[in-house]
Amino acid sequence: MENITEVLQLFLATENFVAIAVGVVVGVTVGSIPGLTATMAVALALPFTFSMQPVAAILLLVGIYKGGMYGGSITAILIRTPGSPASACTLLDGYPMAQQGEAKKALKMALYSSVVADFISNIALIFFAAYLAKIALNFGAPEFFWLICFSLTIIISLASGSMVKGLIAALLGILLSLVGLDSVFGSQRLTFGNYNLMDSISFIPLLIGLFAIPEIIEFYRKKVVPHLRAKASGAGVSFSEFKGSLKSIVRGSLIGVIIGAIPGTGATAAAFISYGDAKRRSPHPERFGKGELEGVAASEAGNNGVAGATLIPLLSLGIPGDVITAIILGAFMVHGLTPGPILFQENLPLIYAIFLGIMLSSVILLFVGSAAIRYFSLIADIPKSILFPIVLMFCVYGSYAVNNDTFDVWLMLAFGVLGYVFNRTGIPAAPFLIGFILGPMFEDNLRRSLLIGSNDLSIFVRGPITWFFIALTVGSILLATYRFITSWHKAKQSAGKPGAGT
Amino acid sequence: MMKFHSTGGALIKDPWDVVAGVVLLGFSLLLLFHLVPNYIGQPPIMQNPMMSPRWLPTIVGWLLLMFSVMMIIQGLLVADDAEDSGRRFERGPWLRFALMALSLVVYVGLFEMLGAVISGILATLILFIAHPVRTWWIYGLAIVFPVGVTLLFTGVMNVPLPMLPF
Repeated sequence: MENITEVLQLFLATENFVAIAVGVVVGVTVGSIPGLTATMAVALALPFTFSMQPVAAILLLVGIYKGGMYGGSITAILIRTPGSPASACTLLDGYPMAQQGEAKKALKMALYSSVVADFISNIALIFFAAYLAKIALNFGAPEFFWLICFSLTIIISLASGSMVKGLIAALLGILLSLVGLDSVFGSQRLTFGNYNLMDSISFIPLLIGLFAIPEIIEFYRKKVVPHLRAKASGAGVSFSEFKGSLKSIVRGSLIGVIIGAIPGTGATAAAFISYGDAKRRSPHPERFGKGELEGVAASEAGNNGVAGATLIPLLSLGIPGDVITAIILGAFMVHGLTPGPILFQENLPLIYAIFLGIMLSSVILLFVGSAAIRYFSLIADIPKSILFPIVLMFCVYGSYAVNNDTFDVWLMLAFGVLGYVFNRTGIPAAPFLIGFILGPMFEDNLRRSLLIGSNDLSIFVRGPITWFFIALTVGSILLATYRFITSWHKAKQSAGKPGAGT
Repeated sequence: MMKFHSTGGALIKDPWDVVAGVVLLGFSLLLLFHLVPNYIGQPPIMQNPMMSPRWLPTIVGWLLLMFSVMMIIQGLLVADDAEDSGRRFERGPWLRFALMALSLVVYVGLFEMLGAVISGILATLILFIAHPVRTWWIYGLAIVFPVGVTLLFTGVMNVPLPMLPF
């Protein structure tokens, strides 16, 4: 009873409601502007959370995340430009529907299925996070060491693009995370005598540089492309149409939940698996890809089903599953909180206040999404030539605000250039960020295990939990190797075909 | 998904991968044989080498070396699926890019000296000229936005920024 009162006290603060509403509005707006991503918005919003209470800060970022997931589908449907990779699947049927004059129907279905999937995902988060955290209370340093090994390997093995590049990105992230004073011996590591680096590399300039600056550089490096305009026209979704797609929405949501709970898999995979499942079960699979309403519903349910579920490993184990949850982890740390089983023990009211806010964000998404459909043309008509100078301003001011030092602005620009080089060479930024976050945890748990075991390496195989995570780590490495070899064979086969190559 | 698109003919299938691999190879060698020994302090006595501050950077260095070699091999044998990855694009005029770079220099070089408002106005004006924005009234936004965003940071969010040079 005492806990419930405390949860309500934490949750019912006006600041929380404002944070959720602002977050969802910003997320939908940014998501529906081609070229701006939810990741960029979450990164830029992080400095604003410094002065906020922890619950409001987390809810603001979660609101942007959820709004951005839906916002990405608006541009996918109307102008065939997915606002996020996860919305790529939505355009398969959404865009043909828009061409047939049924844009509003597609957008409404995308919204309703997103809200339902989001709600189911939140329920899963509330039930499973607490359960998993309870199990994780039995974990010691060796168990966490192997869990981090598993998280790193699964993120790399399932990441898009080349596995070698994913590994390189993660290694560079780990290496940069080690810059600063060593936590055990206090010796300097790669600081080059610079006092700004002694407290390690600041997370926020790295984040902003990596995810916002490359977009700006690319915009000014590319030839100007004509600004696309679109309108949401036609009729909305009838109840019978929604009911007809409900099974696909629920199945897609569950697929999203399962995939979201595994670190590294992401919303894109969930959307395509959900879409494939709906197509396979449909009595009219031939209509998919030509403007099938159920296709829009299934793909949106898949990608939004991930949103709540990705917070399961973050909150219960302290392991971020993707870039946005990695940023949210940063927000927790800024406020002196460390997600994981201990957080459930020591700050349970805070966790449940966040859960209530996350549930509320689904309802707010419904209203904001409806308004976004109506006023989309107003949002999307703002040219990037006006938007990007503002984005750059937020980048600079936000980085400076971390330590009130121009060094962080330099750092942000350096990471921006690095992010741009990553884009050009196809090295993914997500494993870099995950490596940067998991690197110190990896080293810390390794050292603690050695200290607990008095330098006896058998501590790393001390019980069934360690063996379980070792098996998962080996499994993910084998999966990565299998994917690498099959892709290599496919490439060789396509090279052997007549007419292949240039 | 790993995407390989092997093509016959050219000696190097993906020059970007080869260049990036060579740079990374050089960096890993620099890390292993110069940076780790000279820029990472180590206590004189340690019970286990795995406890050393140099242990993880060394492991990372050797793995980087291994994977950079693999990246070079990949670049020599496998072509980039450029259309999918979006790594190639049509370049705009160099002046546009140079002005964008200048706006970055204005921010980092003059931010503390001129304050957030004036450096913001200057950088935004440069970016509008870089595009170029042809509607005259939009240039007024180059004043409105920096003032608005600075007030948002300092007034609403209580984030301290150097406002003005005086």
